[in-house]
Amino acid sequence: MTYVGASIPGRNNRRSAAGAATYVDDIRPDGCLVMAVVRSPHAHARIRSVDTSAGHDLDGVALVLTGEELRDAGIAIHPSGTNVNFTPRTAVRHVLAVDKVRYVGEPVAAVVARDYVTARAAAQAVLVAYETLPALGDARAALKPGAVLVEESWPDNVMVDYPIARGDADAVLAATPPSGRTSGTLVCNRVAATPLEGRGIIADYNPYDETMTCWASTQAPHVLRALLSAALSFPEGNLRVIQPQVGGAFGGKIPMFPEDVITAYASRRLGRPVKWIEQRDEYLSAGGHSRDMRCDYEVAFEPDGRITALKAGLLADVGAQSTFLGWLMAIVSAACMPGSYVVDHVSIRLRAVVSNRGPWQAYRGYGKEVAAFFMERILDDVARAAGLGRDAVRTRNFISPSHFPFVQPSGWVTDSGDYQGTLEAVQELIGWDDFPARQAAARADGRYLGIGIGHELTPEGSSRPDALLNGTDSATVKMTPRGDVTVLTGVTSPGSGNETGIAQIVAECLGADLDRVRVLQGDTQSAPHGNGNYSSRSLTFGGSSARLAALVIREKLEIVAGRMLNADRADLEVTGHRIRSRASGQSVTFDEVAAEIYRKPHGRHMAGIDPALEATRAFKIDNVYHRKDEDGRYNQYPTWSFSTGACIVEVTPETGDVRIEKFALVHDCGVVVNPLLAEAQLHGAIMQGIGASLYEEIVYDDDAIPQTPTLREYTLPGIRESVDIVLGHRSTPSPFTFMGMKGVGESGISAPGPAIASAIDDALADFGVRMTTMPFTPARVWAAIQTARSAGRGE
Amino acid sequence: MLISVEVNGEVVTWDVDPRETLIDAIRERARLTGAHVGCRSASCGACTLSLDGLTVKSCCLLAAEADGRTIRTVEDGRTPPEVDDIQEAFIAAQGMQCGYCTPGMVMSVRHLLAQNPDPSDDEIRRGLAGNLCRCTGYVNILKAVRAVRDARLGR
Ligand code: FES
Ligand code: FES
Repeated sequence: MTYVGASIPGRNNRRSAAGAATYVDDIRPDGCLVMAVVRSPHAHARIRSVDTSAGHDLDGVALVLTGEELRDAGIAIHPSGTNVNFTPRTAVRHVLAVDKVRYVGEPVAAVVARDYVTARAAAQAVLVAYETLPALGDARAALKPGAVLVEESWPDNVMVDYPIARGDADAVLAATPPSGRTSGTLVCNRVAATPLEGRGIIADYNPYDETMTCWASTQAPHVLRALLSAALSFPEGNLRVIQPQVGGAFGGKIPMFPEDVITAYASRRLGRPVKWIEQRDEYLSAGGHSRDMRCDYEVAFEPDGRITALKAGLLADVGAQSTFLGWLMAIVSAACMPGSYVVDHVSIRLRAVVSNRGPWQAYRGYGKEVAAFFMERILDDVARAAGLGRDAVRTRNFISPSHFPFVQPSGWVTDSGDYQGTLEAVQELIGWDDFPARQAAARADGRYLGIGIGHELTPEGSSRPDALLNGTDSATVKMTPRGDVTVLTGVTSPGSGNETGIAQIVAECLGADLDRVRVLQGDTQSAPHGNGNYSSRSLTFGGSSARLAALVIREKLEIVAGRMLNADRADLEVTGHRIRSRASGQSVTFDEVAAEIYRKPHGRHMAGIDPALEATRAFKIDNVYHRKDEDGRYNQYPTWSFSTGACIVEVTPETGDVRIEKFALVHDCGVVVNPLLAEAQLHGAIMQGIGASLYEEIVYDDDAIPQTPTLREYTLPGIRESVDIVLGHRSTPSPFTFMGMKGVGESGISAPGPAIASAIDDALADFGVRMTTMPFTPARVWAAIQTARSAGRGE
Repeated sequence: MLISVEVNGEVVTWDVDPRETLIDAIRERARLTGAHVGCRSASCGACTLSLDGLTVKSCCLLAAEADGRTIRTVEDGRTPPEVDDIQEAFIAAQGMQCGYCTPGMVMSVRHLLAQNPDPSDDEIRRGLAGNLCRCTGYVNILKAVRAVRDARLGR
């Protein structure tokens, strides 16, 4: 029976469709209280006093917490982890602000009450006196000499200054004539992952045995347990974290958050369960953002389009960095340039700067989407400046398949790929060659159609040194006395369906019946240690470790079955929960072998055999280098998926409105375990990529006050914005994983931005418009057209 | 204040807080947790319920406003694990990932198909315009709705 490669609907679909899935807010331990958080309305202010008395006095209020109390209790988040190639400035973090607030939405106090309305009312009654400070509205303001300091112990607002160099880009640029150079500025908008379910946690402290159980909408229960234990000085072994069904995550629920610590602290103080459920306005100001980066570039190229030098200054506004580790995304953006292209002379300088915007939190793409937007726009600019086709310039500069593994200027090692292959395939899917005729006909009708391409590189399986999010995971496979198989994994599923994929892998490797394989995830009390869900690694790491464990069980089953059947192991055939001797044709079921092992451990078939039918194995991936080697290699991404996207758009010049007629993506994520689920992931990633390209932007004013507090301002694409998505698959298997799996999940989020920009430019070629700032809202497109018109271009 | 509502065919009396929203009453008092909260600003549709036969975003109604009225939820009084043909279509087409939006989507599809048994793609899009999904890109949701429509029409 082949399960790997089969399209099987997700195992949790039925309960989800019935409305019977249990999310964290559906859990109600007896006596559970509700917590609400008092948040800063100011972007930057000193806290003069916090008066909690009016909150306390309300009927039904159990506790009001302030930053001072938590600080005095020794609760703080200390910087941890090591970094190679750069040194970030850090600071100790308070989960409730002490002395000053650094962004709108920062937690200042917390109220615990009998129900939600009481908690919210009490939160409003807490009086905080602030003395406002000048606020830094963005990174450029933060860089100005004499700018106010977000972190007063730092000499300036620069958190990371990370240069990357190969060759001598300055010398090449200086020696290249103006006709062989181009330059520009690109801006990637600030966005938020925005899973439909917000964050949330219930902490339930048991004062008798001094244990605590937490249910959290998290991506990584074991990691949350370790971080909570450290923050609260609470014994890790007494802490249990359970992940119920999660309503989407996309990186936005990688632990840990201030509210996790506050909730757990409150429960311990009260000896009662406490629940905190995030509200959407809290999420949009304080749940963490991403992107928000600009790039000033200069490139030199040959007449045939070969890029000889790239110089880029990257400026990332990482906001008021907090307990979150999102700022690391800026590092990934820089380290993934030039990415898919060979450039001999490279000089990149990243400055990640703190401001009074909200902190960053991981989001699908994790900085790679920013690198893709910048690189692809630069490639389009080179094509324009050189008078060459956009596809030709890519072909000219791609890393060729024979050059893998390829060391990026950052030292990261790109494992494998065939970029030209996905480019050609997507051109075929979108109808690249036939498009100019169509475009001309539409233009004659007064319609503006354009076509664009965008290539993306999606390194996966992030393996950071000295961190709990690293390149391993573990799984336990066990068989019951009646022959049923249970798989426990350290990876989790926030809706991506890896429980189904892992069951397929185990059934296949074990020779089991898929219906008799159950996968359990997300409980630190039962699952072996694992890093949870991030970086599209759940199948590559979770599946690979489950396979290793399954092979141990299979070996034992084969040895005992061989004795039962009087056959050599080499003669055995294992499939469909049954082991058969090819020679005799006789067979035994897994049920019978399991019964033999459990019921007759002293019997004749069990001589010398340890009767455990349970194995835990950890998979540790290759192609990770945590110390720089003599060639400068330092690699945290073992596998590198890639895709090429292409789209056709229609622009209405009168309104600046952009409509996507068709979006095609050809992706290569190695071997696909479950095409139905893999494609579903791609659909979602592409739509999120489109959302960030056309509709979504977290906006702050010059005083760092958020202008997008609800989903009415932060507009997610709805079904009316959904587009016709066409997918193509190719497979260059990873040499480093089981069967060459590479990970899917993030793939598809990066290509839409540059592809749509490229298509808008193409549609508006008459106007000479170049889209350089995401998202390409009607206002921006319209303004670009007006600028062109007043310069006498177009029509 | 005391209100009386019919929920999935059963009349109940609740003593609600005047500030309490309908979604909170349904989730906390009736313990029907199929409807979810995604925004509390009538933007996402995760809280979609049927009130006197019309789909409503129950986060933006007060429980008190439901007094004397009839509510149907995604559970609709079915015996687990029974689901309707719309839900079956969502299951088969993988019209969901995290499932958080799904009950609200199902409510809107029930209403749409009751009003218009043969909706075009455009009409489906309009019918589901109030329900956001962050996971699926809507591709498989559209497939699921087309599949039930066609099956009901014997196509
Ligand atoms: S929770 Fe009601 S519309 Fe979002
Ligand atoms: S399935 Fe996750 S929001 Fe729709």
